[in-house]
Amino acid sequence: MSDRNRPSRKQKSGKGKAEAFIHALRTHQVDAIIGERHIMLVRLKRAEEDLRNSRNQLRALVASLQSIREEERANIGRDIHDDLGQKLASLELGLSWLARKLTHGQQPLRQKIGSLSVLVTTMIQAIGRIADELRPNVLDELGLVKTLQSEAREFERHTEIRCRFETNIGNGKLNRAGSVAILRIVQAAFTNIVRHAEASRARVTLIKKAGHLILTVSDNGKGITKKLVHNPHSLGISGMRERAIALKGRLSLRGSKGKGTTVTLRVPLSQVRIGDKSVSS
Amino acid sequence: MKKSRKRGTREKATARGKTYVFLLFVAGHETNSLQARNNLARLCEEHLKGRSKSTIVDVLKDAAVAHTHNVLLTPTLILIAPLPKVVLLGNLRDTKQVLASLRLVGTGP
Repeated sequence: MSDRNRPSRKQKSGKGKAEAFIHALRTHQVDAIIGERHIMLVRLKRAEEDLRNSRNQLRALVASLQSIREEERANIGRDIHDDLGQKLASLELGLSWLARKLTHGQQPLRQKIGSLSVLVTTMIQAIGRIADELRPNVLDELGLVKTLQSEAREFERHTEIRCRFETNIGNGKLNRAGSVAILRIVQAAFTNIVRHAEASRARVTLIKKAGHLILTVSDNGKGITKKLVHNPHSLGISGMRERAIALKGRLSLRGSKGKGTTVTLRVPLSQVRIGDKSVSS
Repeated sequence: MKKSRKRGTREKATARGKTYVFLLFVAGHETNSLQARNNLARLCEEHLKGRSKSTIVDVLKDAAVAHTHNVLLTPTLILIAPLPKVVLLGNLRDTKQVLASLRLVGTGP
């Protein structure tokens, strides 16, 4: 190297000072930066701690709100089923009674009552479905595995997107909080598949492995973009992430252009408490 | 007669026996400033007993001195004497590195 290209002592010294400056900042050893007219106090570490605390508080609040929301949904579902459902059942009985009292000559009336009965039956079925969605009774009665099997079947039936469900957790029971969170994540993932994926096939797996419960929901659609994955306005994805964090787990979304999207939830088994020996299915 | 001693040896020889004069720039009672004060006091006690003179400059009270010495952040320690001048940034928690920068390695307890 010629003398012209070698850095001068002044240049070397300047570079060294800059590096020392940056090192001091990075290692939180700086209290104040002195400008020409002002002195700025630097409290990065404290600010980071405050931010961390705020974030934890926010997470706790979100978890609490979700819990309250599930409880409200359950209450509304129960009211709809017990109160409204009951009244519609009474109406159906009333219409049957009326139909029996009609004579042969009252055919138009009989037809009218018949169509009203059909309407009431449809309403009762809709009430049942809404109540189930608000409060997933089937989770309590059948457990998460059978519920997810049912969800996959219903998804396939309503969307004509072929959907397979696989699991190795057998009949092991999970706690309600974990079951509801996993069910809601699957439902949110299904909603995204229907709305955005343009897929023809979907797959749900629920696997117990190495002390963790791993849920994946994948499709063969156009693939989610990185921009959408990190979009703060995507409430569906934010909601899934918060549910994962509430279970001390992790949620990841990966999309491959033209090949599909995979949502993966990984939670420690201790958070969802599987009992009984698992049986391969 | 040629002076054949190497520069490092000459500096160490100069360091022994001379009074060290420090200027420590701090920002009031901020955490790093307090640590720098304590670390400097400990260093002087352990390695320069009776051979040091430190002046603490609180930039929040007197920023002009900081401008005079081109100090841009606190804490900053300047070794005024013996020459050459040394400028150290941060709270001086890395004792080994501080001693090496001040040419005090091998002079401690």
